[in-house]
This record gives sequence, C-alpha cells and structure tokens, in this order.
Amino acid sequence: MTTLQTPPNESTLVDPVTPPPPRRPSVGRWVLFGVMVVIAVVMLYPFWVMIATSLQSATQFLSGGGFSWLSWSTLTSVIPVGQEVLSSTIVCSASIALILAVGLPAGFAFSKLRYRASGMVFLIMVSAMMVPLQAILMPEYVNVTKLGLTGGYLGAILVYAALGTPFSIFLFSTYFRGVPDELIEAGIVDGLGYFGALWRLVMPIAVPAIATVTVLQFIQIWDDLLVGLLFIQNTNERPITVGLAILAAGRTTSIPALMAGSLISALPAMIVYLIFQRYLVKGLTMGIDR
Amino acid sequence: MTLRRRRQWAGFFFTLPAIALVVGFIGIPIGQAVYYSFTSWNGVVSTWIGPSTWTQAFHNSNLWTALENNAKLLIAVPFALALPLCIAVLLHQRVAGWKIFRSIYFLPTAISWVVLGLVAERFFAFQGTLNAIIHFFGFSHTNTNLLGYESTALTALGITFIFTMIGTNTMLFLTGLATLDPSLEEAARIDGAGRWRIFRSITLPHLARFIQLAFVMTVIALFSALFSLIFVMTGGGPGYSTTTVEFLVYQTGFQQSAFGTAALYGIILFVITATVGIIQLRLIGSNE
Repeated sequence: MTTLQTPPNESTLVDPVTPPPPRRPSVGRWVLFGVMVVIAVVMLYPFWVMIATSLQSATQFLSGGGFSWLSWSTLTSVIPVGQEVLSSTIVCSASIALILAVGLPAGFAFSKLRYRASGMVFLIMVSAMMVPLQAILMPEYVNVTKLGLTGGYLGAILVYAALGTPFSIFLFSTYFRGVPDELIEAGIVDGLGYFGALWRLVMPIAVPAIATVTVLQFIQIWDDLLVGLLFIQNTNERPITVGLAILAAGRTTSIPALMAGSLISALPAMIVYLIFQRYLVKGLTMGIDR
Repeated sequence: MTLRRRRQWAGFFFTLPAIALVVGFIGIPIGQAVYYSFTSWNGVVSTWIGPSTWTQAFHNSNLWTALENNAKLLIAVPFALALPLCIAVLLHQRVAGWKIFRSIYFLPTAISWVVLGLVAERFFAFQGTLNAIIHFFGFSHTNTNLLGYESTALTALGITFIFTMIGTNTMLFLTGLATLDPSLEEAARIDGAGRWRIFRSITLPHLARFIQLAFVMTVIALFSALFSLIFVMTGGGPGYSTTTVEFLVYQTGFQQSAFGTAALYGIILFVITATVGIIQLRLIGSNE
C-alpha cells in the first residue's frame, strides 16, 4: 500500500490541493470542461448501470426494456440485505476497533518509547505490509479453522486486524514523530503514568491519524471478498460483498436484484468516502509528500 | 527502576499486542507455508515429500498459464498510469467545478471490486453497453462477447483493472501536482517554454517518485488484488484463460483440496510481490 520512506511532516495534514494557481483566461477552457464532463460520465457509469438495471424486473431485463420497482420490493427475498449489511458492519467495526487498540499504542511506542531493538521490530512489523493474504492463505485458513473461529465473525475479524495493523503502526508512528517529546514527558512526569498518558494525552492528539486509519480500513474491509468468503462459514453471518459475489458466481440470480444489492453495498463506503475524502487521500499518499 | 528503564518497559508492553497479532497471523503462517510447500497436505494430514514438490510444480502447465496471464496483464499497467496522469493534469488546470469533478472521479475508488466486477460483466455482456456503443457507431452486425472466449477474456479483465485503478492513481498524481511550486512553471513560461516542454522538463520529473509509487502499487494490486474481479467476472475461465497466480492459489486449495501445492503457489506469489517491493525500496534509496 505505502512505502517505507522519510516521515512526512505536519504539512501532510493540510488538504494537499489548496493553493490555486492564477487562472489563465483561455479559449481551450470550454474544450477542457467538455473533456472533463466526458470523463465524469465514464466514472459515473457503474452507478448508472446499477440504478438503471435495478429499476427493471427480471423479465424486463431479459427482454431489454421497461421500468419496475419489483426488483427493489422483492429484494430481501433474493438477498438478505439487512442481515448482510449488519454482518459487514459488525466485522468492520470490530476489526477497526482491534486495529486501533493494538496499532495506536504500538505506533506511539515505536516513535516515543523506544526500547532495545525496537527499531528492528518496527521494520519487521511494517514490512509485513508487503505480504499478500493469498501468499499465506492456506496455513492461515487451516490455523483459524483449527482454532474453531470460522464459525462466527471472530476469525475474519482477527485476520482483517492482523492485515491492517502493520499499516496502522506505520501511520501512527510517523504521525507521532511530529509530536514534540516534551508534551509526552510532561504528562508522564505529571503522574499520569504511561496508560494515563496514552489515554488522555496521546489519543486526543492522534485524532486525525485515527480518522485516517479508520476511513482507509473501513473501505478496505467493507469492500473485501476473500477473507469474508473463507473465514465466515455460516451463511447467515455473511457480509454483503460475499453474499453478492456468491450469488453472482451462481449465475442463476436475477441481475436487477443483484444490481440493487450492489447499490446498497456501495452506499456506505461511498458516504464514508465523500465525508472523509481528505483523510483517504492523506492515508494513500502517506510517506511520500515531501 | 529508573525512569528510562520504566519507559522502555512501557514501550515494550505497548507494542506487544500488535507484535503478537502480526506474528501469529502473518509471521507464523509464512513459515508454515514454506514448510507445507514441501509436503502433500489436505489441510488435516501432511506428508513430507521434499524438494520434488517444487520441481513438480514447475512442470505443471496451470502454474505457467497463471504466470503467463499475470505477465500479459502487465500490459495494462502503463495504461493504469498514463490515463490517471492525464486526468490529474486536467484536474490541475482547475476549470470551473473541478472539485466536483475530482469527487466524481474518485468515487469508484470507494466501491468494492466485487461490485465493479459485476458492473464490468454487464458492460462486456452480449446485451451489454459495449455492444450498444458499437451498434451506435453503425456496426450493427458486430457483436462482441469478450468474457465468453479464452482469447479475449483476459483483455476484458485488464480493461476492468485499468478502470478500477484510475481513482487511486489519479489521487496520487494530483497530490504530487499540488506539491509542485507553481512559480517554477510560471518562470519557464516567461522564458518562453511551451506547454509540452514545461510538462516534460518540470512537471514529469517532479512527479517521478509519485509515478514510481503508483507503479509499484499498481503492479502489486495486479498480482494480489484481482481476486474479487476474477471471482465474479470469470471464475478464472473460460478454461484457465483468466486464472492468475493468486486465483490459482484459491482454486488449487479450495476447489482441488491440494493444500500443499496451493501453499507453494502462495510462496511464489510472495516472492514476486516482495521482489517488486524491494526494487521499489532500492529505487527510493538511490534517489536520496
């Protein structure tokens, strides 16, 4: 996802696209605008397909025309959307909570409470970012199965958390490098203790970094298929992406219903993205600005 | 205990849960994967076979097909970089409403590749948008069905991959452009440099490491993030024409229950992505 590079400074926290260059009045401006509209149409195409297709009944879809709310009104009988959205929400929030719970103290310690060989440990942790799940898929699956965790949500939550932790450590530790040591020292000397300092001093400072990790991981986990597919065996605990993918692979489902389900699955991630856009950009480009 | 020692212990304890999680769920499985790659393993019982599993694997035509498919898909990478670069440069011109355009362009980034794969399937389908476009331009008797044939399915997958990478890469390049000092371009313009010349001599060199990062991220995604697209669009087929190495791991393990061989393919995948990652680190190192 990201590179191990020089730590970014506080300037990363500013929206990277602020200073507008002077506008040149130009004839090509309208052409440019037209090109951008065309690109926008292409990028909005998936939404158009989902909306237009879902507003047909299965038979209308096959005959190639018509309008009907039928696919929406009968959606829950085809896809248990409510349950699947709930599963996705549970898995997402629990994984993110775990990532923050282990990643924040670790990132803080790696930059402010160094111990012998902590630099080495940090490097190893962060290089775990480079391991794709497929590379360790077989042993992972067998281990989690042997632990008896593929029944409920816990197996998937642990796997997502483990996969997300290295990046969060990287992000938190680079973030804390920009926080002056004295601030932390003062808190500890003031008798807060290390846990107190973490809870009352470090956490409030780290809100932007916490937001970045949360947004990135939310989109990542919400959109994921592989982990949910293999590590959540109960049909009635399936996350929505898994439900959609399995229905699609079956190739007998009504396409309009599938598109309606897709739209529902896409909405939460889109909303999160639109609200927290700048945190997403920040996280993606972490470690490269300057 | 001195304050210094106390602080070190606190640091150690703060990192311990993270270490346990990462070692338990990533570190140990790497070791196991290497071990099991030398065995015949069905997930329950494993029998040691030895290095011959590896020589056997490299005589397996499926592995070579998968590697070849990955290699062919690399052709998509230049497009997955060039298109976002153009889009970022356009956005950087800041025409009226560019912020809205920016939001729209990035929007598909939030959507699952499962969903984008389903949409792509509609696009390439016999009664899909692609054929509608072809008909619109007057070729009313031409009908394509890219996903239906071994010779063309991979192309459709590659095109979908390019689309799915546009948002992220545009985002990266736009961030890069924002860190470019506008007075540099201004100075060049005053010196009489044309637009193309400014782009080539100032903008592009400035973007070099952003392009590098985007390149590595794109290549790694190509090897390790196509699973969702393949699962919903083709299931690896027709035949093995869209089976990449990562999908082969899944197929071998979960459809053929050959866990040992699947673990071995996983190691191969790991070596490939790690090599790309290390090259990236080297490049960064040599730049500084």
